[in-house]
Amino acid sequence: MSTIVVEPLARVEGHGGITVELEGDTLKSVRFDVLEGARLLETLVRGKRYDEVAPILSRICSICSAAHTLTSLKATENAFGIRVSPQTELLRELLFRGESIESHALHLFLLAAPDYLNYPSAIALATDKPAAVTLGLRLKKLGNQIQETIGGRAVHPVNAIPGGFGRVPAFDQLIALRSSLMQGASDTDAMIDLIASLPAADFCHSDTLFAALRSPHLDSYYSGDEVMLLSDGSRAIVPAAEYRTFTAETSVPHSHAKHSTFRGTPFMVGALARLTVNPRRLTGRLAVAMKRLKLVLPADNPMDNNKAQALELQNDVDRALEIIEQLLREGVKDERPIPVQPRAGTGTAITEAPRGLLVHSYTYDDEGRVLAADVITPTAMNAASMELHFRRTVEQCAERDDATISRRLQMVARAYDPCISCSVHLVRKA
Amino acid sequence: MSKPTVGIFGLTGCAGDQLTILNCEDRLLDLVALIDIRDFSMASSLNNEECPLDVALVEGAVLTSHDAEYLKAIRKRSKTLVAIGTCAVWGGVAAMDRGADRGKLLEEVYGEAGRGYDSVPAQALHEVVPVDLNISGCPIEKEQFLAAIAALLNGDPPIYPEYPVCTECRMRENNCLLIERGELCCGPVTVAGCNARCPDLRVPCVGCRGPVNDANAASLAAVFAEKGFDRAQVAARLRTFAPEEVTA
Repeated sequence: MSTIVVEPLARVEGHGGITVELEGDTLKSVRFDVLEGARLLETLVRGKRYDEVAPILSRICSICSAAHTLTSLKATENAFGIRVSPQTELLRELLFRGESIESHALHLFLLAAPDYLNYPSAIALATDKPAAVTLGLRLKKLGNQIQETIGGRAVHPVNAIPGGFGRVPAFDQLIALRSSLMQGASDTDAMIDLIASLPAADFCHSDTLFAALRSPHLDSYYSGDEVMLLSDGSRAIVPAAEYRTFTAETSVPHSHAKHSTFRGTPFMVGALARLTVNPRRLTGRLAVAMKRLKLVLPADNPMDNNKAQALELQNDVDRALEIIEQLLREGVKDERPIPVQPRAGTGTAITEAPRGLLVHSYTYDDEGRVLAADVITPTAMNAASMELHFRRTVEQCAERDDATISRRLQMVARAYDPCISCSVHLVRKA
Repeated sequence: MSKPTVGIFGLTGCAGDQLTILNCEDRLLDLVALIDIRDFSMASSLNNEECPLDVALVEGAVLTSHDAEYLKAIRKRSKTLVAIGTCAVWGGVAAMDRGADRGKLLEEVYGEAGRGYDSVPAQALHEVVPVDLNISGCPIEKEQFLAAIAALLNGDPPIYPEYPVCTECRMRENNCLLIERGELCCGPVTVAGCNARCPDLRVPCVGCRGPVNDANAASLAAVFAEKGFDRAQVAARLRTFAPEEVTA
């Protein structure tokens, strides 16, 4: 029996590892280990008032903190029957885009790209290819500029509160954003060229079940109340309130972790799943970029999640620019948040965080204090699918040397862009 | 002179302080030119996990026995240990109810297996090892971080504000959320350095930077009482990011 251990899994958020056990050439077991401490934040918000919940639960994860904040607010507003204004919806969508731009740029340039080019880090890459790294940093900064302008801070946004925003952005801030986004739109062309030029990563093929929010508009990370699960030949639609149907925890024999499956099948969430479930958005400039990236949907290679993120990064910049233009055209009203009238009940929200589906569900008492909170994160949902793809990677690796297997496993893990601080809220190693 | 060796580490937390370092986009390449980063697993897959370090930057709180051992090993190899972020400095959100029955909560979230997990009540770094410098904030403020690094490189002691968020808020000429609008704002008891980020957006301060030293607790208690806030509610809110026993 031989064992391959990757620990710590570097260039990801949080603390995790991969363990593979082989007997001769036969694969015995594969495990995605979550080594993060348990902060138990879902239990710590019990008894807290509705306005304290988002600031506490955003701390689950920094990279996804805007998604956690906005999903939390939406769950609370759903529980109280609050409908926010169209302007608030638009500003929240813009904040989501900002986070996605920052997160995808961080992942593509600083975490994933060094693998393809055989560098240990973007810092090392910058010595030889400074233009590539500064391009990535410029796009990353653009995402943060949006988050700072709309959310009030790049990490753990403070301006988004129940019912709306503390203060809406000023005209000159929107003009400044527009100018950065125009530079960004041309940067994303260079970004697509760069990602298209990376060597192919073709060592893991697998039938995959994809799950993403079905968006009523052309594309949205924030509006939508149904999840679609799609694989070759079958599809299912699950309403938000029934999220437990696809996040039902199943014990798996090879570890003490519990995994999300849909009717026994692991599923993948994130950029690739979003593009697969909502293919209508793949027109115009995006379709051209997709051709340059040689991405064909539905994909059977999880590494294609990197290409999907590149497409989304371009789309996010274009969509953010459209939103800014609309805000400038229509003018931003100095709206105050909708007054909150707490009532007893449960509210659930499902959105698309940068890494995929995110669920927050709360039950409140009649004074607006939390009785129960449930948070299910994209990396927790992805854990079973990651293990499936680790397994396929090892099975399909003709070279049986540990270094090659380890390198490929790390690349597959990073393609999922795992956020392990988040994942601890469902899956844990014993 | 050779460049100072630096390690950047995360214990249990959200990685928001390491992310804030990476968010110094305009300065990042200048920064890495001045220091020799030897161990930073969030950004690099080639790390020296044993070499001596001039400076260790550590974020997150101690929430497992592994965290505690790891922190002690970092302390042992580092000349200067800097706690970055409110979790490292004060314990942070995970420390808000340290008296709770942990086994019971673990079982509730993770099922019966949860009782066997490596899990301890959240501790700030200074409760486990000596800390040389604290930079609080949830997350840390970019400019404050860069100024602290510049000071360390030059051998100067970093200078931090020792007054509350209120002072910064008044300098920005904001209407007072507590006095004028009766909102539960933690600005008077929270250490400044964020330029009153939240109250400037008409959002009450939640105290994410941790407490200020010289807060006049007695007179504040009177103000909160006058505004009709229940004492327990105020105390719980003030302690969301920094439990009382850590601050005392």
